[in-house]
Amino acid sequence: MSVTLIRPSGSKIAPVPKPLVSRDCGPAGCEVDWLASRRYETELDFEGFNSFAMEQGWGDGLPLVPPTESRVRIFLSENDRYPDEVIAHLPPSRAECTVEKIAINAVMAGAQPESLELLIAMVAAIADPDFELYGINTTTAPVYPAFIVNGPIRDALDIPYSYGCFGGVATRANAIGRAMRLIMRNVAGQVAGVTSQSTFGSPGRLASILAGEWEEKSPWAPLAERRARIAGNAVSCFGTMGTMNVLDTTSQAPRDFLEMIGKSVPYVAANCYTPAMPFAEMMVAINPICAEIVGKEMPNIEDVQECLWRYASVPADLLQRQHREQLEGQGRVREDGRIYATPEPKDFILFVAGGLGGLHATGFHSFGSCLTQTRAIASPIPAEQAQAAE
Amino acid sequence: MTIGKVLDPTATRDDDVASPGPDAGVLAGKKIGFRLDQIWRAWDWISEDWAARLEEAGAEVSYWRSCGRSGEEGERMAAELKEWLGTIDMAIVGLANCGSCTGWTVRDAITSVNTGIPTIAIATKNFEDFAHEIAARGGRSGLRVHVLPYPLNEQERDDVKAIGEAHFDAMLEDFGAVLEMRDAAE
Repeated sequence: MSVTLIRPSGSKIAPVPKPLVSRDCGPAGCEVDWLASRRYETELDFEGFNSFAMEQGWGDGLPLVPPTESRVRIFLSENDRYPDEVIAHLPPSRAECTVEKIAINAVMAGAQPESLELLIAMVAAIADPDFELYGINTTTAPVYPAFIVNGPIRDALDIPYSYGCFGGVATRANAIGRAMRLIMRNVAGQVAGVTSQSTFGSPGRLASILAGEWEEKSPWAPLAERRARIAGNAVSCFGTMGTMNVLDTTSQAPRDFLEMIGKSVPYVAANCYTPAMPFAEMMVAINPICAEIVGKEMPNIEDVQECLWRYASVPADLLQRQHREQLEGQGRVREDGRIYATPEPKDFILFVAGGLGGLHATGFHSFGSCLTQTRAIASPIPAEQAQAAE
Repeated sequence: MTIGKVLDPTATRDDDVASPGPDAGVLAGKKIGFRLDQIWRAWDWISEDWAARLEEAGAEVSYWRSCGRSGEEGERMAAELKEWLGTIDMAIVGLANCGSCTGWTVRDAITSVNTGIPTIAIATKNFEDFAHEIAARGGRSGLRVHVLPYPLNEQERDDVKAIGEAHFDAMLEDFGAVLEMRDAAE
């Protein structure tokens, strides 16, 4: 056997999102009852509704905003989607994830109407078969989807990409990540101990990770452009076991920084070394200070990936015999006697983010066969412009 | 206190097949497939032991091993599974012994039973309820599931062999199977 390489499936060609047309007729403009979801009569005050929601199994334990019809209609009316549009079927429930369900969960999470198109792109991305959401939502592992946003929408939605970007920043964008988690719970059906068998779970399963790439500080092209040739607003998602800090207060030269990161991320019980999956990706966030230093010597990011990859391996004899034998059987021990964290350098997925204090990198171990997805975020065009184009 | 209406944020699929699918019937002379994975050596061992018993009874056994389920590898797996299911008369699908592997065991079992062939999924005790839950969410609530003890993969070869032997007849019963025609007559 030989190393199994990561090659996207034929379904991988990212669909171009349809241009949205501003319209007068819609949830706010007609008398038609656009909303198909079942209505429940309940108390709408804070205590009453949240008790009801917990009884129904709708929530995550944090306070929820009651998704009244008027709130959902307002949310939809500020967008250009019909509520019955099916965006995806999310496993393991395989139920329809419609625009309406996304809107209801977004309202409950406290997300703003402007976030709808991002949420739709996020749902579409995780629904790609290559993302392996079926495994993510059922596994004993603590994995969850994390999202990195490119384009001007980062600032429009106040998505953090500087200090504390992976958690702790006070921003309404946190509600978008939480909305995604409520969709995972209420539509995909991921419920701990019922469908999800996650042994420990993760704080990332509460509000996810939703951050931007600090494109303006990156010496390389934006992540979405590198991955999918998408310029402007886009979102990339990857399944991660959580954040892994890499501290380096000593290095000066570009390759020294990369050696430190590369040597730090592989460890023998990481998912990239499980025999259960033939391959894994590795995501790394490089801080802007380090990126500037590295970028001066390595303007091509492929060189950075190559450098990191060469350091990111463990000697096969570091593993106990029965573990090593399984990986040997899969052809994963190379001629140099080492097992690499990813099949190829390209499987190191890099982006620039973080505060200007530098010193740290963040590694994100993937969930093996869960492959990173990138999607463009649709934006409306005026009806007159669309008609003129026709 | 203000009373009002809120919208249901949940979604469920409505379709379901409660039938377990056809009984396996007499196994002698049949082509029986074992679905394996890359993780559970205990399931490899039990499959080997059960296969020997089935071959003694005149059945023909084949194996298919599930590997990566995404990318080109995943497409290859799906095509392989479909082709393999076309070569067998019935399928014994395991092992549901973790989260994602229970998910994929059940998913492959549903793919199998939906082709119309007798199918049984094999789960360990800790993942029994989950296997049924995920089968229901997969639109096949009646999927047959035979349950082995848990923990299983942590046991030594001889202990696993004993477990396999102890469960063989019960697995056949759950599968609606008998080894030979004379067993059916009894």
